[in-house]
Amino acid sequence: MTATVSGKASKYDQLIEPTRVHGSLYTDDEIFREELEKIWYRTWVFVGHESEVPEPNDYVRTAIGPQDLVLSRDREGVLHVLVNRCAHRGNLVCDDQRGNSSSFRCPYHGWTYKNNGDLLGYPFNRGYGGKGNIEGELGLGVLPRVDSYQGFVFASFASEGPSLVEHLGAAARELDRLAGLSPEGKAELTAGWLKHQTGANWKLLVENETDGYHPQFVHGAIFGVTGSPIGALYSDKSTAVTRDLGGGHSENDLRPEFRKFGEPMRWFGTTEERVFEYASRMREAYGDEDAERVMIEGAPHVMIFPNLFIAEIQVFAIQPLSAHECVQRSTAVQLRGAGDINKRLVSQCMGSVGPAGMLLADDTEMYERNQYGVGMRKPEWLDIRRGVDRERVDENGFKIGTATDETGMRGFWGHYKSLMEAE
Amino acid sequence: MAPYRPPSDQSREIGIVESEFASVRISINDDGNGPRLRLEDLRGDKVRYLDALELETLVWLRDEHLSALLDPSADRWRE
Ligand code: FES
Ligand SMILES: [Fe+2]
Repeated sequence: MTATVSGKASKYDQLIEPTRVHGSLYTDDEIFREELEKIWYRTWVFVGHESEVPEPNDYVRTAIGPQDLVLSRDREGVLHVLVNRCAHRGNLVCDDQRGNSSSFRCPYHGWTYKNNGDLLGYPFNRGYGGKGNIEGELGLGVLPRVDSYQGFVFASFASEGPSLVEHLGAAARELDRLAGLSPEGKAELTAGWLKHQTGANWKLLVENETDGYHPQFVHGAIFGVTGSPIGALYSDKSTAVTRDLGGGHSENDLRPEFRKFGEPMRWFGTTEERVFEYASRMREAYGDEDAERVMIEGAPHVMIFPNLFIAEIQVFAIQPLSAHECVQRSTAVQLRGAGDINKRLVSQCMGSVGPAGMLLADDTEMYERNQYGVGMRKPEWLDIRRGVDRERVDENGFKIGTATDETGMRGFWGHYKSLMEAE
Repeated sequence: MAPYRPPSDQSREIGIVESEFASVRISINDDGNGPRLRLEDLRGDKVRYLDALELETLVWLRDEHLSALLDPSADRWRE
């Protein structure tokens, strides 16, 4: 790192300026360790969806950064996020990605825990002075705060801090929008996750999620092959906007463009007739006028700080492993009570981010080339000034730029800096 | 955080274990993230699910533990 701390300016003052950020932010292992403490182990992080653990005693494996976690639902229906580490000698307690069990038994010495993390018992208990001697003292690590919004479950390693609703701020409305696409008002994540390891810093992914400048270049091939109208949304002519939602969250609001056409389901690249069952359930549930508006405006394209990205029909969760590596999990959105559209949501998602999906492969290539580049010595900075002079404030007080501007990135870095400077 | 209830009850019925004293329908249920044994008391209209670890525990339960559970005042008809 070449920047030095001088005077009262913080280390991050030296590295993050309004329109450029220093390359070392993506490569420095010390900064990564600080990010874990100040971001990943302090704020709310998305860990899963309630629909992934529908029944009492269901559980799924999840993660926050390098921490291996289990999201469980106990017998009473309460959700817990447990650290997957035995209190005895640290062994991994859960191996399967998902299952149904009221308790977990460590394979090493058989210590057994309830699915709320409490130690239930241990073999040959005389060695501990009998039954009931250490149960209260040793249990699985439990994340002190777990909460959900529209079924999206978030957890925090910190026992104090803003509430989930405060953390989500304006981004909560985008989760409402997603749920509103279901005739029953519920989006679910039941299609299964695909894991994709990427040799890049997690922030490159976050920045890319609402970067409307790259799609025409990076995704030109898939837009061409599929005849998708998406490319045109990200151009100089587009009426779509990039919005800094505050709190590090940002979105590409594509609604102005879809309203212009006024065609239901255009956002999904189809017509109402081709998803007839879905459309009629929507009209039944919400009435013609509201249903039509929702079907015209489509799904949100929102990056929720620090790791949840909703790209219309698919959801991504970013898990950093080191300064140079992260895992992206992705899954198709499923709309409860939607009938015929759910299968299409899965196949479109597979086509874009499945094992042979074109969008994910395109983007990953870019992340990894970027990571390679930021390791080089000159120039030291990455530029994020695009659109700064034409940025405006919308009627709700949010900063907005045009479809291709870097407004979202600047919002991300402002929030990042405030967290990293906090004690 | 109310549980999400799947719409259908996915159970593979095995059969009914019955005597003059009790009648229980046994099936394997697939509604959750892993299979569970579903036991339905056909006379008392109550359902219980048992996961694999609980079943294994039953297999190893000592006879006197089991008899203690059969005491009518143990759970069902306690004051
Ligand atoms: S490490 Fe888990 S029981 Fe010993
Ligand atoms: Fe992309």
